[in-house]
Amino acid sequence: MAGAGGFVEADNAEAIIARIETKSSKIESLLKQYKPVEALKTALEGSPPKTLDERCKSANWIVVHRALMAIKDIEGMLNALDVEYYDILMKYLYRGLSTGDRPTCDQCLKIHEKLTDRAGLGCILRCLTDTINTV
Amino acid sequence: MAVVDVHRFAESITCHAWSPDHSMVAFCPNNNEVHIYKSVQDQWERLHVLEKHDQIVSGIDWSSKSNKIVTVSHDRNSYVWSLEGGEWVPTLVILRLNRAALCVQWSPKENKFAVGSGAKTVCICYYEQENNWWVSKLIRKRHESSVTSVAWHPNNVRAINTTSCTSILLATTSTDGKCRVFSTFIKGVDVKDPKAGSPAESKFGEQILQLDLSYSWAFGVKWSPSGNTLAYVGHSSMIYFVDDVGPSPLAQSVAFRDLPLRDVLFISEKMVIGVGYDTNPMVFAADDTGIWSFVRYIGEKKAVSSGSSYSSQFSEAFTKFYGQSKATTANDGSESSKSRGGVHDNCINSVVPLSKAGSPKVMRFSTSGLDGKIAIWDLENMQEELGHQF
Repeated sequence: MAGAGGFVEADNAEAIIARIETKSSKIESLLKQYKPVEALKTALEGSPPKTLDERCKSANWIVVHRALMAIKDIEGMLNALDVEYYDILMKYLYRGLSTGDRPTCDQCLKIHEKLTDRAGLGCILRCLTDTINTV
Repeated sequence: MAVVDVHRFAESITCHAWSPDHSMVAFCPNNNEVHIYKSVQDQWERLHVLEKHDQIVSGIDWSSKSNKIVTVSHDRNSYVWSLEGGEWVPTLVILRLNRAALCVQWSPKENKFAVGSGAKTVCICYYEQENNWWVSKLIRKRHESSVTSVAWHPNNVRAINTTSCTSILLATTSTDGKCRVFSTFIKGVDVKDPKAGSPAESKFGEQILQLDLSYSWAFGVKWSPSGNTLAYVGHSSMIYFVDDVGPSPLAQSVAFRDLPLRDVLFISEKMVIGVGYDTNPMVFAADDTGIWSFVRYIGEKKAVSSGSSYSSQFSEAFTKFYGQSKATTANDGSESSKSRGGVHDNCINSVVPLSKAGSPKVMRFSTSGLDGKIAIWDLENMQEELGHQF
């Protein structure tokens, strides 16, 4: 039941960070093979939403950011992405926009436009109202 | 088009209710009054103005059998109005609240009504014959925030076996995101069901069920005609369906594209209308396997090209946001029109059924919203379009 399960504690956070490191190397290899869509999918999978630990979230953000910046064909990427990842992707887009870094924001805005067309305003709403599962 | 009649009554309408024969409508025009209008030969005529509350009237319900109107307001009071000699006479109900009352509903048997309030409590009011006044009993436990909506179970809980209609179960939604079902059994008013399974159902204020599906505010809870299914909405553009409400419920969360909903209505056992900020009622249905999903908008489908499904306000905002030449993409003249070609121009606040209480299908319903319009919708000609679930 949402919210009733415990949040991950500090020692488990180490395990999660280790998992993220392995994900990161996998993503690097995928990017080298010019498969940015696969890379983004891998990055979004298993995003740790239930941790309160900032380090886990930051670690995962770095990985997602790497994959996001490598995307050139946005339409194709959204075509390949499952619907259930739209909400998580939107949350990471807003995190990207909050960095204020020019290239990141440019890329995030481009993806945001296409994603809103597909997923609708509801996706943005879900991202804004969900204060528990933040990324 | 399913819309039969649209009329703009005021600047903005908070809530509305219909008389038993559906000839008169009572609504609050976003102030402390209640206006009652009657439809006379295609014209709406104002018959009465009920002026007793000090602040905005947040909930109105008109009982169909006893022809009484109950109103609740932000001034923490409630009045029960009865028609005596052509005039509506108010009776004050002391709710014992220290915060605004937000919603009200008569029980199916109309001997009680429930009031949700900002004081994190629900008041169950019943009429005490001996003292000739309405008494309020409070459910103080459980709610962690304002109670936004209440709904009485249409029959007794085990609708399969019993024929009595003692209205004990009450569902509530709250801004703490949870939907709860309580027992409101009152000794002397309700008849104890001999087949009552759990003793919990006979204790006033006992929580039967708590549903933790939403992270954000929850609104608009309603029971299906048989009482087997519950539906409520969350502010995160989600609608939640709970089948087999009881010890092991089957919950489903359905996410949809558009702005959040505010209220829902079961038009049949397997079909729900949702209304809200998107100003266009949405239809949700359960397929044969019991999975609920979004079906369509009730009106004609608008051509969806990028940007044109949003109002002129949004396209301007998006143009600024994306900073590029979005203005060059044709927006189908959405700049010029304020209304989006739909029926309502602003958020739809409430949807009220217009058929006999207790009937399994709702053929007509009305919606009212912040644009001050009340629209009446008829589904008679839409049976084929809506499919076999209707």
